[in-house]
Amino acid sequence: MSKLAVSGVSKTYGATVALSHGDLTLEEGEVHVLIGSNGSGKSTLCKIVAGSVRPDAGEMFIDGKPVAVSGPQAGRALGIGIFYQELSLAAGRTVEENICLPDMPVKAGLFVDHAKMSARAARYIALFDGVTGAGFSADATVGSLRADQRQLVEIMKTLATEAPILIFDEPTSALDRAQVDRFFEILNRLKGEGRAMVFISHRMDEIFALGDRVTVIRDGRTVDTSRIAETDAATVIRLMVGEQGELAPPAAPGEAHSDGDVALQAAGLTSRGFSNISFALRKGEILGLGGLHGQGQSTLLRALFGAHPVASGQVLLGGRQISTAAPADAIRQGFAYVSGDRRRDGVITERPILENVTPIHYLREKLFFARPGALKEKAMPAVDSMKTKFAGFSHSINSLSGGNQQKIVIARWLIDRPDVLLLDDPTKGIDLAAKADLFALIRKLAAEGMAIMLYSSEDAELLGNADRILVFNGGRVTRELTGDDRTRFNLYQAAYEAA
Amino acid sequence: MSDAVSTQATRSKGLKQAFQRFPFLPALVILIVLLVLNGYFQPRSVSLIGLTGLTKTYLALMLLAVAQTYVVYAGDIDLSVGAIVSLVNVVIVVLMEKWGGSGLSVVAAMLVGLAAGLVCGLINGFVVAALRLQAIVATFATSIFFTGAALWVLPVAGTPAPAAFWRTYGARFFDIPFVFYAVVVLALLLYALARLRLTTQLLAVGDDAQGAYQSGLPVTLIRMKGYALCGVFAALAAFCITGDTASGDPLVGGKMTLYSVAAVVLGGSALSGGYGTVVGSVFGALIIGLINSLVYFVGTPSEWQNLVQGLAILIALMAGILVGRRAQ
Repeated sequence: MSKLAVSGVSKTYGATVALSHGDLTLEEGEVHVLIGSNGSGKSTLCKIVAGSVRPDAGEMFIDGKPVAVSGPQAGRALGIGIFYQELSLAAGRTVEENICLPDMPVKAGLFVDHAKMSARAARYIALFDGVTGAGFSADATVGSLRADQRQLVEIMKTLATEAPILIFDEPTSALDRAQVDRFFEILNRLKGEGRAMVFISHRMDEIFALGDRVTVIRDGRTVDTSRIAETDAATVIRLMVGEQGELAPPAAPGEAHSDGDVALQAAGLTSRGFSNISFALRKGEILGLGGLHGQGQSTLLRALFGAHPVASGQVLLGGRQISTAAPADAIRQGFAYVSGDRRRDGVITERPILENVTPIHYLREKLFFARPGALKEKAMPAVDSMKTKFAGFSHSINSLSGGNQQKIVIARWLIDRPDVLLLDDPTKGIDLAAKADLFALIRKLAAEGMAIMLYSSEDAELLGNADRILVFNGGRVTRELTGDDRTRFNLYQAAYEAA
Repeated sequence: MSDAVSTQATRSKGLKQAFQRFPFLPALVILIVLLVLNGYFQPRSVSLIGLTGLTKTYLALMLLAVAQTYVVYAGDIDLSVGAIVSLVNVVIVVLMEKWGGSGLSVVAAMLVGLAAGLVCGLINGFVVAALRLQAIVATFATSIFFTGAALWVLPVAGTPAPAAFWRTYGARFFDIPFVFYAVVVLALLLYALARLRLTTQLLAVGDDAQGAYQSGLPVTLIRMKGYALCGVFAALAAFCITGDTASGDPLVGGKMTLYSVAAVVLGGSALSGGYGTVVGSVFGALIIGLINSLVYFVGTPSEWQNLVQGLAILIALMAGILVGRRAQ
């Protein structure tokens, strides 16, 4: 009988399907690896098991008995401990408080038993003796620690649950080699004790070093489970890609843009989040940035736009060296930036559509007063080119769907044409029809000579639209895919290779 | 040379750690500066009598700042603390009068007052944490409701508190004023409460509510407990106000609400939650008190007093941030 069995769980947020069908069995004394590309539903599946996300459908069994996990507290009571990818730490509390937070030892039912708490935390801190790095101590506040140290605290917190079922959602993404080795020693020991563990990682070497079985998840569906000993990296990647991806032809455009003038050139750009990035972007070219989430793609685009400080390196726009200290500078120099995080970077909520189309025009033309009629005349062609459906310029932007809101945000950049368009995962949370419109427009803009950089968390969008793809891994460009090399297989292989 | 550099580095690191651990240090520095200034302009203000008067007047604000701190810990806010003070004030004064004003009736009325504060806190906690209404608006609404209740209990100000009550508040035992005993008891209470598991949980919720929920903490219950504790401390503040003013007034606490928020911020706590100390809030309340008396002692003409007071509080806020930032 399996320690844990999950069958047919699903979760939908509005129009987004986070997980359409998740199956998973977990035996005592095994490390079960979950692997899948960006947004395939790994984290959702883990959170459903731990109780922090409630599934829409599906069943769960522990030791063969059906259970319903109503929340994280219930999950813990059922013996499930989880490491959250985004961490669940309180930055202002100390390391030992964080380790013991879910289950603080108390005196008289009310007061924290400090001696007991320190003793308990010390046991788990001792597991990582020697690899915790400078500045790490039981009474250091978590906010003062480095990213890898925080990840260690979350690991310790998970281990401190002493739960028979342990879930680790990307626990090693910030750890160095020595820390990973120590962590794997611990996991191997826990395996010997008969714990059942789920492990998510995007480093192939780790998966094969540690795992017993691997389940591949693709587009919200668990598609295959096999023993690690009976499979290999190429097979796993092929399963992640799926058959349709292998057979699909590489990207549509593929024209050589070697004749166009260089619009934007970067040399040795380095900052917190990426290092030593160099590329040349030609007019009329769509340059794709690929790889797993958070490998520096967004940060690079934000840095070019002046929204993230650059430590060193050069940026040349039309052959002239420039520096952009703030987005306003970048906009005046001819940059445009559209982000998928519409609420943070795009939409001016609750305000009329006209105000949402014109802010960049105000900035670039240094307008102080403007006649609404004149603004509408300027805005109309831009909005028209986007095939945006809306009732009138005076309606609130909130009356539009997500896709149409994003079209309005893009239209604001088209009144005064930019030279370089930076697209930072622009289609997040947008329906399929609007996506198709967006990419048709982006390709049209490129054909008219605009230089475009596109980061997308959906690999299909990159493969279908980018002329070239720079694959990011750990803040560096590890591979450049051009021409017929632009296949899903190559993209995944480059993204999942050890950094 | 390199030795000097490294000692300086360790010293600045030690200082940084001290500020990390004791967020109220900047407030303490400002407090001492203000005490010195007060003593310079009016030597008698730092005498025993002067300090007794200061404590008598501002003990209520200190307690109210403490009350506010517990909800601010969790990233919430309570704009009804002043109204709770008013309500408890009129409830105890009316009950003491009704029950004859003897020692026993005073104690009984105070117990009812504490219960009233607790109930107000629970109501706030329910609407904010359980019904998930915006804390700032929901507690503004309950503040109007509590004020209404206070006006129903006592429509016009003026009912005197029994002599047994306010004489005790102003009395001396073994030559030491009663309020100083109260301060000592408060200090011991705060020391104990800082060790509550609830305090750590409130701070964890304020730090990252989602993370706390995912860690398996009962977030709703924790926030409700924070409001309950706030209600109880607001009731204690009401006792001090009653001892100081010796009468019932259904509007006495209203203007204290935002002073309590200001005291919390002056004390180094973050309004966004997750960071702060109750001791800092006590210092913050004293800073406000000392600014008010200093404005008076330097002889500011009465029509300028509000303006100077406001400026001085702004300066204290900036000084606190500067001292804190320098240390980081």
